[in-house]
Amino acid sequence: MNPTRAFVCSFGLLLSTLHADSWKDYFTFEKIKTPAGVDSQVGAMGALPDGRLAVAFHRGELMIYQPKDDTWTLFGSGLQEPLGMLVESPDKILVMQRAELTRLTDTDGDGKADRYETVYDDFGMTGNYHEFSYGPVKDKEGNLYVVLGVASNGSPIRKEIRGEFSNIGELSREEMTEAPGKDWGKFKDKSGRMYSRASYRGWLMKISPDGSVEPYASGFRSPNGIGFDAKGRLLVTDNQGDWRPTSPLYNITEGGFYGHPASLVWSKGWKGKDPLKMDVSKLDKMQVPAAGYFPQGELANSPTQPIVVPEGAMPEGMTGETIVGEMNQNTLIRVLDDEVDGTFQTGLVPFLKDSPLGHGNHRLAFTTDKSLYVGKTALSWAGGTGITRIRWNGKQFFTVDKIKALPDGFALKFSEPVDPKSVSGLKMERHTYEYHADYGSPKIDEKTITIDDTELSSDGLTLTLKTGPLKQNYLHQLILGHLHSKDGSNLMGGQIWYQVVKVPR
Amino acid sequence: MKFHAFICISLGIAASQARAASEGEVLFKQNCSACHALDQQVVGPSLVEIRSIYLGKPDDFLKWCLAPGKKRPGTIDMPSMAHIPEAGLRQIHAYIMATADGVKEKKSASGDPFASSPTQNERPTVQRIFMPNSGPAAIAVALDSMTSLCWDAGSCRLRYAWTGGFIDGWPYWHANGSEQAKIIGTVRYTEEESPFGSMDGAKFKGYELKGGLPKFYYKLGSTMIGESFTALDGGKGFKRHFELSSPPSSGMKLKLSDDPKVSIESDHGRIEGKTLILTAAEAADFTLTIQFQ
Repeated sequence: MNPTRAFVCSFGLLLSTLHADSWKDYFTFEKIKTPAGVDSQVGAMGALPDGRLAVAFHRGELMIYQPKDDTWTLFGSGLQEPLGMLVESPDKILVMQRAELTRLTDTDGDGKADRYETVYDDFGMTGNYHEFSYGPVKDKEGNLYVVLGVASNGSPIRKEIRGEFSNIGELSREEMTEAPGKDWGKFKDKSGRMYSRASYRGWLMKISPDGSVEPYASGFRSPNGIGFDAKGRLLVTDNQGDWRPTSPLYNITEGGFYGHPASLVWSKGWKGKDPLKMDVSKLDKMQVPAAGYFPQGELANSPTQPIVVPEGAMPEGMTGETIVGEMNQNTLIRVLDDEVDGTFQTGLVPFLKDSPLGHGNHRLAFTTDKSLYVGKTALSWAGGTGITRIRWNGKQFFTVDKIKALPDGFALKFSEPVDPKSVSGLKMERHTYEYHADYGSPKIDEKTITIDDTELSSDGLTLTLKTGPLKQNYLHQLILGHLHSKDGSNLMGGQIWYQVVKVPR
Repeated sequence: MKFHAFICISLGIAASQARAASEGEVLFKQNCSACHALDQQVVGPSLVEIRSIYLGKPDDFLKWCLAPGKKRPGTIDMPSMAHIPEAGLRQIHAYIMATADGVKEKKSASGDPFASSPTQNERPTVQRIFMPNSGPAAIAVALDSMTSLCWDAGSCRLRYAWTGGFIDGWPYWHANGSEQAKIIGTVRYTEEESPFGSMDGAKFKGYELKGGLPKFYYKLGSTMIGESFTALDGGKGFKRHFELSSPPSSGMKLKLSDDPKVSIESDHGRIEGKTLILTAAEAADFTLTIQFQ
């Protein structure tokens, strides 16, 4: 053991207040008392410009939380499964519910919405439970974006649907439809694991300020996270499953196809071909590659909403960074963005993992006082309930702020100088996935690489790891757990999963 | 000697099982713990129950994990665990068998814990939820504590009215919407078609609330229609008020339901058989009274 490390070890206990390594040393976690009598599963959240927080719950109550005196007031109610919100002003809130995008307005100033205006409902519903609707988010030009999940073969469709029915698929409409005494189990294997038989399920839609709507991108499965990053990229997270080897993070471009084929039947000019009968290699070529992957079980199983860190809410190095929620595990995820020849790709890092945060981290909002509110849900899947308020205490922690892919490794920028003596025994694991109709993919072609060749900049802030050539379409996992800073702090978030879409030249 | 060998082998087996179980614990936490708790059903069955099914049957356990079926109505289907290698699934099996050994199942609560909460019992009230005998964009409305109706925002029309109570949303709310709400009470009136005839091309525009009661707006051709409801006292029926922005100058003929369980009157125009005849002026603002028989 080298002398410095021995010193750190033996004085570790004494110095623990100075050299903290628990999230609790940097953040406070406070459970907010949710309103009495309300199922506290949170579907949507939004910050109001006056410091309050709007929260939509599972049964459709939209309530406003006043942190000053810890009170709740009812703004609206009766919504069905609200899963997204955009606060236009304290008396005007857009909410995405199952059947439509709705603008709730308090027209008479009594603090309660009295107008529920349908902004967009021109999409299909089969009544299948898995047809969730997400969004809206708004771009600089004022366009709104919503994204529509596909149905699950856990259930058939209802007798009455809304919108157009697609006849494309192995099962006829009658076979797809519930009926008394019908054993759906005999049909479900032929519907596709997740299916899109009503119009625009699996599509991301763009709604212009004049009300016109265009189908913008396709290929979504269960896209329970949509948001713009600080650079104006439209990000969507989706859930592991059929055609999803593990949960992906996508950077959306107009006309893009994002991998789940069911939605393709609603493409303009689609000629009746069953996407499930197409060559997988052809679909693979059509799809826009994910900009990041959350490895199932290790990082996240059900990633949720992306949100941008405002100035002052987190250490300076995280300002403008995107963080993402996760329902299944006790963690959030930081998105370290990188660009190679104009291609956006990311390193994903666990954040607040195994802290008092807990599970079910569904919706995120930063209020004007820089608090991060995390609303939880489960909807009978894995998750949680209630709201946790997280506040940074202003102390810098030792972490990776930036990652840059190199032709033969990675350059990492740290928030504090790295102790050169801790730079040893670093490892990288990498693997790829198989794109297929099956639910999830095992890791393919796994390899562990020992990183012997490293270079630390003279200021100690930049560490270059020579791993050998990076591999395109592989998820590279850097294992940095035992790095510590010059002043002895442990690394907060010691793993980075970097998806190499493009290898730098 | 034999005895010793037996102990050695047993201990060896026990040790290897313990090793498998501890490796299984890591995999279990990563892949299973979110849905399976030790001693009570969460999303899926408890480890206690899984143990009772798969004790000594690792192969059956494996088969299920790779291609899960549906056993329990009203619960979520388990996704395939094919991404975990066989050895890992066997370790998870060993872990579950070891962990649940000697543990007893806890009883879980049943029924809607919010059934008597004030927000759920506000009257009148509007609640969007999947409803029986309606399109999927259904809206349930409690006009008062006795009379309720189902309005379909997809086809822009009233579907049915009932008396008794409102809805039991628990079948929907306790999970993720795989079940519809149940109506509480008796259906007293069903409308097979809108009074305006075919609603193809009708556009739902939303609703306004006044005293908690909704006024629905929808556009049919170039006409904006406002439709609102009030209950008659004592669950005897309801009034239905229509406002049309620009009724055709030639007037309108509306089709009234032939549901024999109600009588229908209009405060404007005249009724011939099951047809309500209105002049343009009358069609701009009229009220139907639907009385349950």
